[in-house]
Amino acid sequence: MNSLDPRITRLGLPDAPPPPPDKLALDQFETYEAFHQKKEGTAYAYVGPVHAPSADVAFLFAKEQYSRRFACTGMWVVPTTSVHLSPYADDNASVYDELPAAEQTGNASTAEQQEEALYTAGDEDYDIFHLKKRGKAHVHVGRVRATSPAAALQVAKAVFGDQRPVVNVWVVRSADVLRSDDEDRDIWLTTPEKKYRDAMAYRVQDKIERFKQEQKNAPQV
Amino acid sequence: MYGSASTDHLPTNAPTGLENEDPILLAEFEARIARGEKIEPNDWMPALYRKQLIRMIEQHAHSEIIGSLPEGTWITRAPGFRRKMAQMAKVQDEVGHAQLLYSAAETLGKTREQMLSDLINGKSKYSNVFNYPAYTWADSNVISWLIDAGAIVNQMANAKGSYGPYCRALDRICAEEAFHLKYGHDAVVHLATGTPTQRRMIQEALNRWWAPIMTFFGPSDKMSVHTEILMRWKVKMASNDHCRQQFLDMYVPKIWEVGLTLPDPNLRKNEETGQWEFTEPDWEDFKRVINGDGPCNAERLAVRRAAEENGAWVRRALLSPKAQYVRPLA
Ligand SMILES: [Fe+2]
Ligand SMILES: [Fe+2]
Ligand SMILES: [Fe+2]
Repeated sequence: MNSLDPRITRLGLPDAPPPPPDKLALDQFETYEAFHQKKEGTAYAYVGPVHAPSADVAFLFAKEQYSRRFACTGMWVVPTTSVHLSPYADDNASVYDELPAAEQTGNASTAEQQEEALYTAGDEDYDIFHLKKRGKAHVHVGRVRATSPAAALQVAKAVFGDQRPVVNVWVVRSADVLRSDDEDRDIWLTTPEKKYRDAMAYRVQDKIERFKQEQKNAPQV
Repeated sequence: MYGSASTDHLPTNAPTGLENEDPILLAEFEARIARGEKIEPNDWMPALYRKQLIRMIEQHAHSEIIGSLPEGTWITRAPGFRRKMAQMAKVQDEVGHAQLLYSAAETLGKTREQMLSDLINGKSKYSNVFNYPAYTWADSNVISWLIDAGAIVNQMANAKGSYGPYCRALDRICAEEAFHLKYGHDAVVHLATGTPTQRRMIQEALNRWWAPIMTFFGPSDKMSVHTEILMRWKVKMASNDHCRQQFLDMYVPKIWEVGLTLPDPNLRKNEETGQWEFTEPDWEDFKRVINGDGPCNAERLAVRRAAEENGAWVRRALLSPKAQYVRPLA
């Protein structure tokens, strides 16, 4: 195949190859969901999925895809299979209201004691994410302890149920989250020398003004 | 959509299938959209909504990935280091856009494998403008500025659509496009205000690209039941003609102000109607090219296919036997 691009010509691609076979399942791997921390001290928020063969590679892809153009100070990736979803509610509503009430744990009387009891009763930590409005991104609200994702959702209802609105909740076993290390913080500091990819770097209006000025001053032909 | 030009719209007489949908669920779905709420992947949705969105987002994704090829070929030959870096950054952005969009389409139930297969075996379309060659660096600059400008008109409109994952992807994409537009504009102005040779070079590139650009938004929409439904469902956000007019309004003055001309003697803004008038694009030629007979169709698919095939062994080597497919969530 001949191309205007000599590199393509050198590939020696056939002009009329037989149709390719369809891709096999998982040719593009599994998916992971990525979260970033926009600024030091702020909550992690969902940025989007990546396809990757492992969590480590997912982390690299997520860093490239989601932090290349939008600086952040930390990133988490989670296998999509590890995210447990609540139902979705209408905007302005709370999906917690649609869940059956959590069982009372022990003989805790005050809400605070109950929260405390719920926190220590379970076996494992779960990270809880809320979607406040449809079309926006899930945001990390905190952690609970529970014996299963379903139980974690109940605990989350007790702990975060007064927040409003909550359109949808994601529950992730904390052990399934691959998190960037605080010590590696400098991996996020790569952007300052790449001004050429910011719109700000292009002073096109100056060039246009200069051109118009020159046209005005040029002798009429 | 990214150049509705690319879309073989559903035939106007195709059944909508709405009569088979549950009327209560359909009413709730429509009420949600009418309230301005977004649809999320787990919500009930009519089959036609799902089908049209998959088609649209998938074609948008293909357009990003194929669209990076004509500009990509100029990376190695970009004049100067800074332009090389910028061109590379832009091309990388476009490929990233494809990744975001494939994932958004995937939430609707079509796997990325199927989409990539349909691209390389020619079953899916992409924006027709990328079936034309970038002969010179100036052609690449025209693409960076004006094709991206057209894409931005579409993307800004679609970002207000009803499907959550597509909106999230488009918000991210639109933010990156600000650089593309400025970079492209700057590159064109640089040549247009440069030496007589540079000037001639950019004028010739513009002349070559004007006809494809005028077809970018596709032919006038036939007002059909489909168009009406898709607009009500906020899948289609603006008519092709509306997008074209908006594009001409924003960019023709910017082209003229640096002394460039456009190869259409009938192009003018009718001050009474506020509408741009122009020579009707050659839609027969457009159809011929979109159906495979353009100057670069074969090359674009062959290059994409070679990249897929050359990377296959790496992907196979990395695949874990425990891997299990689920759709991305949002
Ligand atoms: Fe793009
Ligand atoms: Fe583009
Ligand atoms: Fe772009």
